[in-house]
Amino acid sequence: MIQALRHRACTGWLVPCAMVGAMLTSAPARVLAADDPRIWLEKMNQALATRNYDGTFFHLSGGRIETMRIVHRVRAGRVMERLQSLDGPGREFVRNNDELTCYLPDQHTVLVEPRQDRGPFLGSLPRFGADTNQYYRLEALPDARVLGRTAHVIVVNPKDQFRFGYRLWLDEKTAMPLKTQLCDSRGEILEQILFARLDMPENIADSELAPAVKTDGMRWVRQGPALEAPSMGLSGFRASELPPGFKLTVEGAQTIGDATAPASHLVYSDGLATVSVFIEAQQPVAEAGVDASPSTSPSMPPEAPMQGLARVGSGYAFSTVVQGHQVTAVGEVPALTVEFIAHSVKSGADPASH
Amino acid sequence: MSEQIREQVSAFLDGELPSTETELLLKRLTRDGELRESFGRYALIGEALRGSNNALLTKGFASRVNLAIDGEAVPAASPVVATHAARWWRPLAGAAVVAGVAAVAIVAMQQRSLTVPGAVTGTATTAPATVADAPAAIPGGVSALLAADRQPGAASTREAISYTVPATPLETPAAAPTGRLSNGRLTNYMFAHSKYSYGLGQRGVLADLLIDDDEPAAAAREPAKPVPVRAAP
Repeated sequence: MIQALRHRACTGWLVPCAMVGAMLTSAPARVLAADDPRIWLEKMNQALATRNYDGTFFHLSGGRIETMRIVHRVRAGRVMERLQSLDGPGREFVRNNDELTCYLPDQHTVLVEPRQDRGPFLGSLPRFGADTNQYYRLEALPDARVLGRTAHVIVVNPKDQFRFGYRLWLDEKTAMPLKTQLCDSRGEILEQILFARLDMPENIADSELAPAVKTDGMRWVRQGPALEAPSMGLSGFRASELPPGFKLTVEGAQTIGDATAPASHLVYSDGLATVSVFIEAQQPVAEAGVDASPSTSPSMPPEAPMQGLARVGSGYAFSTVVQGHQVTAVGEVPALTVEFIAHSVKSGADPASH
Repeated sequence: MSEQIREQVSAFLDGELPSTETELLLKRLTRDGELRESFGRYALIGEALRGSNNALLTKGFASRVNLAIDGEAVPAASPVVATHAARWWRPLAGAAVVAGVAAVAIVAMQQRSLTVPGAVTGTATTAPATVADAPAAIPGGVSALLAADRQPGAASTREAISYTVPATPLETPAAAPTGRLSNGRLTNYMFAHSKYSYGLGQRGVLADLLIDDDEPAAAAREPAKPVPVRAAP
């Protein structure tokens, strides 16, 4: 399903990293105080990526709550991580360095997929510098208590309605995020992670990283990386306008689902938030319930074009049709942002300069 | 919910529950779905009354929460002012009131549904068969696997609350792929997107993929009540 993207020469996926690097080099021009929120975010990123931890947390989103367990181990430079749903269908994700295995017992299936990103499951935030500061305001609030510990409270407030913000409660001793919230520009909480238990042992046994799922009889599906270039018909599509601060950081092509042709995948980012835009040639649409396309799977009738807005996880998706192509923008951003970007996509458009 | 558990939940959300009791509460929450729902609502109310550490809350939201927990009728547009209760759960008048508060809170996430002109149903229902037929790849993508247990057009209970506001009346509401990863293509898009989103955003996507969306179909099929769409600036 997922195939690797062709990174833009010189300005591909490395761009965000370069931006982060630039932020790093520009920010420390003056010495930051020990309690500067940027220092604490850096400590958090370090802790999430380099420490061993084993915790149980609540994930609250959309009025619903799930209990999950996270185990993260770094040993001899090798990262293993396990994310497990404790009250759901027993699904688990296990990451072994750059390979992600999804155990789906309810589907009797195991998916194995390479992951280029090596960020921890619990996530991290890019460092803040001049660019990011244009669009987000970083501040520290008075300390609070979480899990019986004192926590530094860091708030990343968006300066406009095109992006979400975060609030983080970082353990005073370890800088681990004991509680995090995703908020909109009005401060309303969209998603929350709240630890109920968090241990940081020196060693974590292999058994703690082994999936609880018994895989006997399950079907294993392995996805291999395959570089693809967008087809000629898709390569010219770009967003002609972008919300302030967003830039094209990645472009490539990948096959989505069981589509017969790869979709163009464009990634736009403001350094913190990201929006993916998928552009696919529209399949011929049969009349309702009638599959008129011989090129598609007999068990998968061609899907009708999507149009409109939907909430997906903690973000939004907006889909429209542009010049006979299905254009869908998705991301952990407000509805306004995905709608803005999707509507601006055109073939042959000059790259947006924001 | 007993008074003792309520105290425990409150103390936990205040960051003051001893670790031994936290373990017990966690075990209860893991096996008690009803308690989890209550916990989620209390967490939301607690954040509202605490003002989320000075974070902005809309006046309407805070005042509605306060009115709701005081047992008063919640007007469409309330005049203001959040007060800070020492124990935010104290005035909870009952499940109906709490549910009302939750519903008010969800208004913050109002949106239009994704509409499918000439909607073709069956992404969720046809995908599993496709998966079984082709072991070398993942026809239908991740969604085919993760959404296989979802019924056609069955939005979750949460969606029934959260996803209202059709931009235009849907002729076939059961076929409208509204909301949270319920549409196969959207799930695939989000999974593909997760590789390129920064950590915290990616975490949300992965967490969603872990969750079981098996909700009562009858409740899910109830037509959503329209609420005003937030105006784009």
